[in-house]
Amino acid sequence: MNKRRLSKILAKAGPRQVQELAEEIKAQHEITVVKAPEKSLVMIKMRDPVKESLFYLGEVIVSEAIVDLDGAKGTAVLMGDDYEKALDMAVIDAACNKGVFARFDALEQLEAEQNRRTEQENALFLKTMVNFTSMDSEAAQ
Amino acid sequence: MAYVAVSGGEEAIESSIQLLEYYRSNSQKDLELETIETKLSLLVDRVMSEAGLYSPRYAALALKQCEGSAEEAVFLLRAYRSTLKRSYDTKVADTANMRIVRRISAAFKDIQGGQILGATYDYTHRLMNFSLAEEDAAGLCRRMQAEIDAQEPVSVEPCGRVSEELKKEGLIDRYPLDETPPFDVTQNLLEFPASRSARLQTLTRADMGFLSGLAYSVLRGFGQVHPTVGELRTGYLELEVPYLQDESESLWIGEILVTETEVFNESDSKNQLKLACGYGIIFGRNENKAIAMAVLDHELDQGGDYPSQDEEFVLMHGDSLEMNGFISHLKLPHYVTFQSKLDAVRKTRRENHE
Repeated sequence: MNKRRLSKILAKAGPRQVQELAEEIKAQHEITVVKAPEKSLVMIKMRDPVKESLFYLGEVIVSEAIVDLDGAKGTAVLMGDDYEKALDMAVIDAACNKGVFARFDALEQLEAEQNRRTEQENALFLKTMVNFTSMDSEAAQ
Repeated sequence: MAYVAVSGGEEAIESSIQLLEYYRSNSQKDLELETIETKLSLLVDRVMSEAGLYSPRYAALALKQCEGSAEEAVFLLRAYRSTLKRSYDTKVADTANMRIVRRISAAFKDIQGGQILGATYDYTHRLMNFSLAEEDAAGLCRRMQAEIDAQEPVSVEPCGRVSEELKKEGLIDRYPLDETPPFDVTQNLLEFPASRSARLQTLTRADMGFLSGLAYSVLRGFGQVHPTVGELRTGYLELEVPYLQDESESLWIGEILVTETEVFNESDSKNQLKLACGYGIIFGRNENKAIAMAVLDHELDQGGDYPSQDEEFVLMHGDSLEMNGFISHLKLPHYVTFQSKLDAVRKTRRENHE
C-alpha cells in the first residue's frame, strides 16, 4: 500500500479507529518518539488553469510527528491539531516501513466504509443535477 | 512638529479589555465551537479566506473570542499563524480532480458532467423561517444522516473544465505549463508590476466586500462590462505533501473546501476572434467573492484608467488586516498632531482678523 493511500485512510479515520490499530503495534514493539507532535503551517501550492502558472492559495495548520520502531522511522503529517492521532499514525507508518504491520485488512475495510460514505454523499449532491428542457428548440431560433 | 510620548491610562485599558467579557456575558449558554463551525460555516469560510489560513476550528474559536467580528477574527488568525513555522509546500493541488458538490455554467446549458446545483440560496424566496427560532437540531442531524445512509452510492468522477472545450476549439488561448516558483505575499513585500502569482494570492486573501464592490463597479460600467461565468465549481480539494523518507511517495494530509470560477470576456479589440478568461478561487463556499476575484483578474489583465484596472489600487487596498488596522488607528490618541492642526487653524483665523 503506497503512502498516499495509507495516510488518506488513516487521516479520514476516526481517532479511536487509528488508536486501536496503533495500540496493537505498541504492545509488541518498542516505540521511540523522534519528533514529538507539533503544529506547523503548510502552504497550498496551486496551478491557475487560465495561464497555467503556479500560485499560493493560503495555508493550513498541520500536526507532524516522527517515531522510530526498531530502527524504522514512521512519519505522520495531517491537518488539524490532534497530536495523539498524529503519533498513532506515525507508529502505523513505522510498522509498515519495518514490515511488521499486519492489519491491512482493517485498513481496507476502513477505506471501503469511507468510500461508501463519500459516494453516498455524492449521490445526494448529484440529485441536484439539472435536466434542462428548452422552451423553444435552439434550431428554430 | 515632534511626537511627544505620553503615559497613563494603563488601568483604564486593562479594565476596558476585561469589560469585553460583559458583552459575552448576557447569556448562561455557551456557544460551542462545533456549533459555530457547522452552523455559521459561511462566516467561518469568509474569515479563513481573508486570513489566508484554512482552519475551520480555529476560525470558529476566533469568531467566538471577538463576538463574531470578521475583521477581528481575521486579525486573531493572522497573529496566530505568525507564531507557527512553515514546514512544507503542498504538491501542486489540482482542482480538475476535486470532488464536486456544486458546479454550474452561465455560458452553456449542456456541459460535460452536467450542471449540479448543489446547495444554493440562489433559488430560495428569502422569507424568514420563524420555526428556526426553536429548532430540533438533533432531529435535523439525524434526518440528514438517515437521508445519506439511504442513498445508493455513486462513484465520484472528475469533471472536465468548460474552458477546456473552448481551448480545444482555439477560442481561448492555451498557455504552456509555467513552473516559475510563486511569489509569496506573506513573506515578501508586494512590488509593481506584480507577478500573476502575487496577484492571485492577494486577491484570494482580500476582503470580500472590497472585491465585491470593485467587481460591481466593473459591471456598472467602470470597466469592461458584464463577463459571463463560464464555470463555477465548489468541491473538496485533496492536499498532499512530500514523504520525506521517500521522495517518490506523498502523504495525504486532508482536504479543503474551495470555490473556483472562470469568467469569459470578449477579448480586446485587436483580438476579437478569441475569448479572454478571468480566474478566481477562494477557501470555502463564497461564490460572489470567487466571481469578483475572476472579474478583477481579467480587469487587471486588460489594464486601463478605471480603479478596477489599476493594479496598485486593487492589490494594495483590499487586505482586511491592513485596511482595518489603518482605519482603526484613527481612533487612537492623536492629541499632539491634532493640537498642531488646531494651532494652525487658530493662527490663520487670527491673521485673517488682523
